[in-house]
Amino acid sequence: MAINPVPDHVPPEMVRDFSLFTSPGMPPTPNGDPHAAVACAHDGPPIFYSPYNTQDGRGTWVITRAADQRKVLQDTETFSSHRSIFSSILGETWPTIPLELDPPAHGAFRSLLSPLLSPKRVTALEPAVRERAIALIDRITASATSCDVMKDFAFPFTVSIFLRFLGLPDQGLDTFVGWAKDLLHGDDVERPVAARKIVAFIDELATNRRKNPVDDLMTFIVQAQIEGRQLTDGEIRGIGVLVFVAGLDTVAAAIGFDLAYLARNLKDQELLRSEPDRILLATEELLRAYPPIQLIRVATKDIDFEGAPIRKGDYVSCATMIANRDPEEFESPNTVDLAREHNRHAAFGYGPHRCLGSHLARREIVIGLEEWLARIPTFRIKEGTAPITCGGHVFGIENLILDWS
Amino acid sequence: MRIIVHNAKCQGHARCWAQAPDIFKLDDDGYILPGDIQVAEGEQLLASQGARSCPERALEVDRTSAARFEPAAMQPRTGEA
Repeated sequence: MAINPVPDHVPPEMVRDFSLFTSPGMPPTPNGDPHAAVACAHDGPPIFYSPYNTQDGRGTWVITRAADQRKVLQDTETFSSHRSIFSSILGETWPTIPLELDPPAHGAFRSLLSPLLSPKRVTALEPAVRERAIALIDRITASATSCDVMKDFAFPFTVSIFLRFLGLPDQGLDTFVGWAKDLLHGDDVERPVAARKIVAFIDELATNRRKNPVDDLMTFIVQAQIEGRQLTDGEIRGIGVLVFVAGLDTVAAAIGFDLAYLARNLKDQELLRSEPDRILLATEELLRAYPPIQLIRVATKDIDFEGAPIRKGDYVSCATMIANRDPEEFESPNTVDLAREHNRHAAFGYGPHRCLGSHLARREIVIGLEEWLARIPTFRIKEGTAPITCGGHVFGIENLILDWS
Repeated sequence: MRIIVHNAKCQGHARCWAQAPDIFKLDDDGYILPGDIQVAEGEQLLASQGARSCPERALEVDRTSAARFEPAAMQPRTGEA
C-alpha cells in the first residue's frame, strides 16, 4: 500500500496497515465482500491510525466502535465536518451544504431542507416510487430471465426518483450516473473532470431556475431565504452539488449489495418473498450489513480521545460499515440476521449531519425489495459471472448479473 | 411509565416514530416534539421499543412508579438540529 509519512504525534504502535482504499478486498474484486473485509478492523485496538485512508491519499484516525463514532459525530465543536471533500478535488475550499458546515451555521440550512425530505413528505412520494419500481421490473421481465441489476434496475430506479425530486428530466440519467461514477470511483484525471461538469451543471441550473421558476428543488433553493436574506451563489452551489452527488450512487449501491446477498442466500430470499411483511425489518439489517459510506471529520483542536492523541487538523474517519460490525454494539455482527431487532445501526450516521435523505433512501430500498421479490422468481448470480465490488469513500458493486431462468 | 425526551439529542432519524407513530410525534422537519411522553397502560411495550430504537440515545425510559406527568418546558429545538 502507499505509505504517507505518519505525523510525529501518532505513536508507532497505533499505526495499522489498514485502508478503506487499498486493503485486501477494497480495490475492485470479483465476488468480493468489502463490508466483511473491513470487519477485521475490530481485531485490533478500537482506535488506530491509517496512513492512507481518503480518496486523496491522506492518513486518518479510524474510529471502530459505534459508541465512539457516536461521540465524534455528535461533537461538532471538536470534530468539524468542514473539510471540502468535493471542492478539494478542484483545488478549492468551499463547503457542500449543509454537510460541510458546522453548527450553528449548519442549522439554518438544515432547517430549510429538512421539511423537503421529512418522513411525512417521503410517505407522500411513495406511490410514485412504487410505480417507478414496478415499471422498471415489468420492462425487465417482459423480455428476459436475467439482467444486469445495477444498469437495468438499481441505478435507473433510484436516480430517476432523485432526478424527479431535483426537477431534472430522466434523459440525463446515464450522463449523471457516469459523472457520479467518475467522481466517486475514478482516477486522478477523471475525478476533477467530473467535478467540474457537476459544478457547471448546477450553476447553469440555478441560473435557469432564477429566470424560469418551476416546481422543483433548485427553484426552491434559489428563491429561499435564510435569516432574512437570499442565498449566495456559493451557497446555492454548495447545496446543489451535495444533493446531486448524495443521491446518485448510495441508494443504488445499497440495493445492489442487498440483492447480491439475497441471490446468494436463497433461504432468506424465499423467506422475504413468502412473508413480505418481514422486508421492513430486514431492510434495517441489510442497511447494517451493507452501508456504502465512510464519514470524515477534521479535529478543530488537540484532544486525547479514548486514548488516541488526536491533534488539530487530523482527519478522523467514521466508517459506517466498521461501526455496524462492532461486536460491542451488535451480537454476532458478522452474521446477517434478517429478523434482528433493536437494530440501531450507523448507516445514516449520527449527530446533526444524520443523512438528510435517510427517509427517502429507506423507502426506496424497502419498495425496491418488495417489488423485486414480488415480481421476480428465485434469482441467483448468473452462472459464469462475478459481481465486482469495491471499497473506497463509497462502497460499490457492479456487473451484478441475476438470473431466474 | 414515561419517556424522557432529550430534544437536543434528537437528529430526526424518526425510528421511534416508525415503531409507534401515535406515541412519538414529529414536527414538520421530522424531529420529535418537545416534552416528555406519558405512556398509557397497554402501550408500554411499544413505547419502550420505540425509545430503544433511537440511534442517538435521545429517549430514556423512566419506569419509576412515582413518575408523574410534568410537562417539560416547551423549548424550541436548538439550531443544531
